[in-house]
Order: sequence, then C-alpha cells, then structure tokens
Amino acid sequence: MTTERPPLLQIDGLSVDFEGGGRRARVLNGVSLKVGAGETLGIVGESGCGKSMTAVAILRLIPSPPGRIAAGRILFGGEDLTRVSDARIRDVRGHRIAMIFQEPMTSLNPVLTVGDQIGEVLIRHLRLGPKAARERSLRLLEAVGIPAPEQRIDVYPHQLSGGMRQRVMIAAAIACEPSLLIADEPTTALDVTVQAQIFDLLRELQSKTGMGLILITHDMGAIAEMADRVAVMYAGRIVEEGATQSILDAPQHPYTRGLVACVPDLDAADGDAEAPLAEIAGVVPSVWELRSGCPFADRCPEVIDVCRHEMPQRTSVTPAHHVACWCRGGPAA
Amino acid sequence: MSQTLLTVSDLSVHFARRRLNPLKPRELVRAVDGVSFALSRGTVLGIVGESGSGKTTVARAILRLVPITYGHVRIEDIDIARLQGEELRCMRRRLQYVFQDPYSSLNPRVRAGAIVRAPLDVMDIGAPSQREARVVELFEAVGLRPEQRSLFPHQFSGGQRQRINIARALAPEPELLICDEPVSALDVAIRAQILNLLRRLQRERGIGLLFISHDMAVVRHMADEVAVMYLGQIVERAPRKAFFARALHPYSVALLSAVPTVRGGRRRAARRIRLTGDPPSPIDPPPGCRFAPRCPVAEARCRARMPELREASAGRWVRCHLVCADRAPLQAPPSAAAHSET
Repeated sequence: MTTERPPLLQIDGLSVDFEGGGRRARVLNGVSLKVGAGETLGIVGESGCGKSMTAVAILRLIPSPPGRIAAGRILFGGEDLTRVSDARIRDVRGHRIAMIFQEPMTSLNPVLTVGDQIGEVLIRHLRLGPKAARERSLRLLEAVGIPAPEQRIDVYPHQLSGGMRQRVMIAAAIACEPSLLIADEPTTALDVTVQAQIFDLLRELQSKTGMGLILITHDMGAIAEMADRVAVMYAGRIVEEGATQSILDAPQHPYTRGLVACVPDLDAADGDAEAPLAEIAGVVPSVWELRSGCPFADRCPEVIDVCRHEMPQRTSVTPAHHVACWCRGGPAA
Repeated sequence: MSQTLLTVSDLSVHFARRRLNPLKPRELVRAVDGVSFALSRGTVLGIVGESGSGKTTVARAILRLVPITYGHVRIEDIDIARLQGEELRCMRRRLQYVFQDPYSSLNPRVRAGAIVRAPLDVMDIGAPSQREARVVELFEAVGLRPEQRSLFPHQFSGGQRQRINIARALAPEPELLICDEPVSALDVAIRAQILNLLRRLQRERGIGLLFISHDMAVVRHMADEVAVMYLGQIVERAPRKAFFARALHPYSVALLSAVPTVRGGRRRAARRIRLTGDPPSPIDPPPGCRFAPRCPVAEARCRARMPELREASAGRWVRCHLVCADRAPLQAPPSAAAHSET
C-alpha cells in the first residue's frame, strides 16, 4: 500500500549524537522508518533504546546542545524536516505533526484551563479568534469523549482524572487535524480499562481522518492490538521491522523474541502460567559504552564470534520483514 | 490446606479530609471498606485492582503503616491491630515489605551490604559475628555478587536495586512478605527476572506472599489465589485456576477483557467489554453496589442495596447480586486461544 505512493513520513539513516564531558554518544544510529497515511507504526524496545528520541527528532525537539542530528533525512510533505527553518518547523509542530506524551499531568500547563490549552493551538496555527477557538475546543472535547464539555472546558488539569487529562491532551493534539500523530507511551500511566477507551478513541480518530500514527510503547499486547507494522529498537538502532502479525508470530531477532516471551500472557495455557518466564539476561548498555559489533551481543543467547566485532546489516526475511542479525535472514538486502 | 498465616477480617481504613468549610461535617475517604481474606502459610495471594482501589492501603494497614479504623489483622492468633510499642516492633520481624519504587526505597548514602544488614542489627538477629556471612548468603540468593556489598545504590540498575530490596526484606526471615507492585517501575525485560526470583524464593523458603499488582497477567503468573479490589472492597476472591478459567464478577470479567494480549491482537480488542467512565470517588461512594454506575448488566437492586461478599461456590467469593451459583451475569468474550481451535 505504501510502496506506490510516497509515504506520509520517511526517515532515512537518521543518526543523533549527544556530546558531553568531551565524549560523544550516538543515541540514534542509522534509523530508517516510514509511516503511510492511515497506518499505525508501533515502536517497541526497553527504556534507553531510542524510541522517544526518534519521536522528538521528528519534531526537532532534541535539546541542542548537547544533542544534534548528525546524519539522515526526515521527509514529510515533500520537505526535509532536518533542514527547514525554525519558523517552518514551528508551523509543522502541533499542526501537521502532533504529539501526545506519557504523563498527561506534566505535559499540560497546570495554570491554564483546559479550554485555554486547546484554544492556544487553534489560535496559533489556524488563526482563529478567541470565540471561534472556544467553540472549536468544545467540539473537540466532545469528540474525545469528555462528558459535559461546557463545564469541563473551564477547569484546570488537576481537577481531572488521568484518563480525562489524556483525552484533553489528545484533543489539543488533534485540534488542527494533523496528518501524523506521535503517541509516546500514551497509556502507560493509565489503568487498563481507561487504556482500552483511549485506544478505541485513537482508532476511531484514525479511521475518520486517515491520520498516520506512531505508537511508542513497551507493551507487546498494545502493539498486537494497535499497530499495522512494528519497529523494534535496541541501543539506538532498529533491529527488526515488519508487519505486526509477521513479527509477533515469527520474531527473528533474539531481542524481539525475548521481548515477546518475557511477558506473562493471559492467553497462555494454564500449565504455562506455572513455568518460569523467559528472561533476557543483563540490561541495555549505556549509549556511552557502545563498542563495535552488535549492541545486543552481550545479552544474546545465540551470540557467535562475528557479533562482537561487526554490526550485522539489515537483511530481508520476507520483502516486508527485515532484521539486523548475523544468525538470521537471507542474503543482504 | 496448610495452616492459616494471615487473617484479615472486616478491615477498614478511613481517612478524614481536611475541612474546607467549617460548617460542613468532615468528609471521609473510605480507602478500604470491610476487606476480609486469609492467606495460608507458603502460598501467594494476588490482590489486583486499578489505581484507587485500595490495594496498597490494605498492605500498609497490615504493616500498621496507616491507622486501622476498624477490623482485625491477625498473624496466627495475634491481632496486629491491637499491638503497641515493643510488641509491634517485634511483630514486624515476621512481616516484610518490598516497595514499588526501587530507587526511592534505598538510602543513597548507605552501601548495599549495610542496607541488607540493617534489619539484622536493628532486630538483633543472630550473633553479630555471623551477620556478614548472612548478608553474603542473601546477596547470592537474590543473584547479586557478594563483592557488590560495598557499592552504593546509584551504582546498581533498577532490577539490581529491586534485588537489594528483596534481600533486605528476606534478611529477618519473615513468614509473610508483602510486595506492592514490585516490577511496575522496571523495564519489561527486567520484570521477568524479578518475578522469577520472587517466585523461586517464595517456594524455596515457604514464605507467605501478598502480591499486589494492577497487571492481571502478572498476577496469574504469581498467585495461588486472586482477590480483585474495586473502590476499597474485594469484589471477587477465588483460586487462580478457577478465576482465570471463568471470572464471575462483572468487574473482573471487564478488567480481564481490557488487557491487550499478543495473541488476541485486534480481534480481542474488537470484542472487548467496554466500561465507560472512571471509577467513582471513594469519598462519597454510590449507595448500592460500587460498580453499578459502570456495570453493563446492573439492575435496579444493584443501585439500591450493596451486595455482600458471599461464597457463590466452593472457595469462590463474589460481591454481586446477579451471580447465582457459578454463573457469571456478564459473559466474557471468547478468548483468542479458544477461537483459534475452532
């Protein structure tokens, strides 16, 4: 579907460096991704693998210094977002590409009412007057399923529950009907019944407006439920990428397999519930300590000699499923 | 069944809110309201519920870290709720706690070895000359290297810090260990390591474990018996197998169906039971069943009268008017596993 038309967003070989104390760390290393209109791309991995860094790089929100985009392109709507002016990226942010964050309490301004925060976006990007902005905000609050919006529009974030706050943040994010929404762990701070409501809402918005969605999460269950395609990140690289079903049914990279196997599954047979969980030994290496070779080598159950010296290239398992592992895949793609 | 270690009966913890209007009566937050359960020696009871359900307050009340409004907490025949001073201090040796956040529950200025040794010194356990050997043994039991005793907490990863917490909790050889969301703050890949460790230590040492979590799949993996809490009350209590084979209370059924699973994927999401709204406030709970305002099958009597927690069938306790024998009023959507077999 996405091969014919140019994708909504295409990232090519994106690398991001951070410098500090005379050292340099490469926190993103040759990340290539694409998202089509109406498509959901899931990004999974442990903390510190570069999931959120990829998201903030798209919006050019990397704190600089110490960070900078060292290489690569981010193509969106015919422009390379790594090269456009600051004024231009401010027009894109919150308008064409919007983002929602994990912790709705810290990402909403506590001294502004709900209506002010949503209205701000509309006034800045769509040049609406205060009255029109308020009208539109009311309709947005209704669209994200907030009961009695006329009363809620004048309350402050602390007066709302976590689920309601997340809905407000979604309302502000979709205010300008962005063509791409980046959701960074949008439900991690929420209860499962509320998470289900938020996922329903995101799916509904997507089917109405055809927006692309990047869903960043560590929950494989959420991926199975939401994503069309998945990118698995480890130590700043994409180690496996493909259609969700293909990745969940036949994960190729040992890291992906570990991620799928280490979480207890409600659907598992009852006998399985008693067996110990599969473990991934060790922890994610610090970006300051990365050496040559595959970054997963120290934790990998299938490590061979070459893994420690040389980084494996991306190879194709099927035309739509890629993996970077010495022990997997066919000839280099 | 082995003998009962912990009995909690009709436990209630109410907090008075600060009076904003001096003319109005004080508002009461009914954080825990009439909770009863028992835990046998060497078994695991999982308490599961969403935020605000009162599961953490139950744990803290058992340890007397919050004042108990009424009700009893007994370790064997001793009522902890009545203990004071030195007696209470001695009792604490038998109960230990592992907190959710491995970062804030360790003193950053104390070396790991001294952290694990502290309970031995404070409670005067064993001869002082043998305590260091005991610390070494504990470090090995939780998968740390004995030479790491001289490091400070910041030199450990989150998973390792939780191991230090577990070692400290095990130091006085407690009979009951309470773990409150012990893996929620950890990365997915690290969770399995800590869960496996806890399960192994619990079995090897025959410790009673009260395992508190919001995650149904984790509870299923850890617990022998499950208690589901909603708004300060237990709404269902059952042995693990029976519960996960077929939950009875509508809230349990809805909660289970809300969990996204790898195998279920979109099919599961499409068939999910949808709950609307958030849990109501424990300050002024609805008069009837507390779940009635969100319950898809609630009837008039549910809103009028609070159901009692009653034994629906052997070993299965449910707080719902509509459950008769072991028929659930709200049917769970067919599971993905069952679907793929057909």
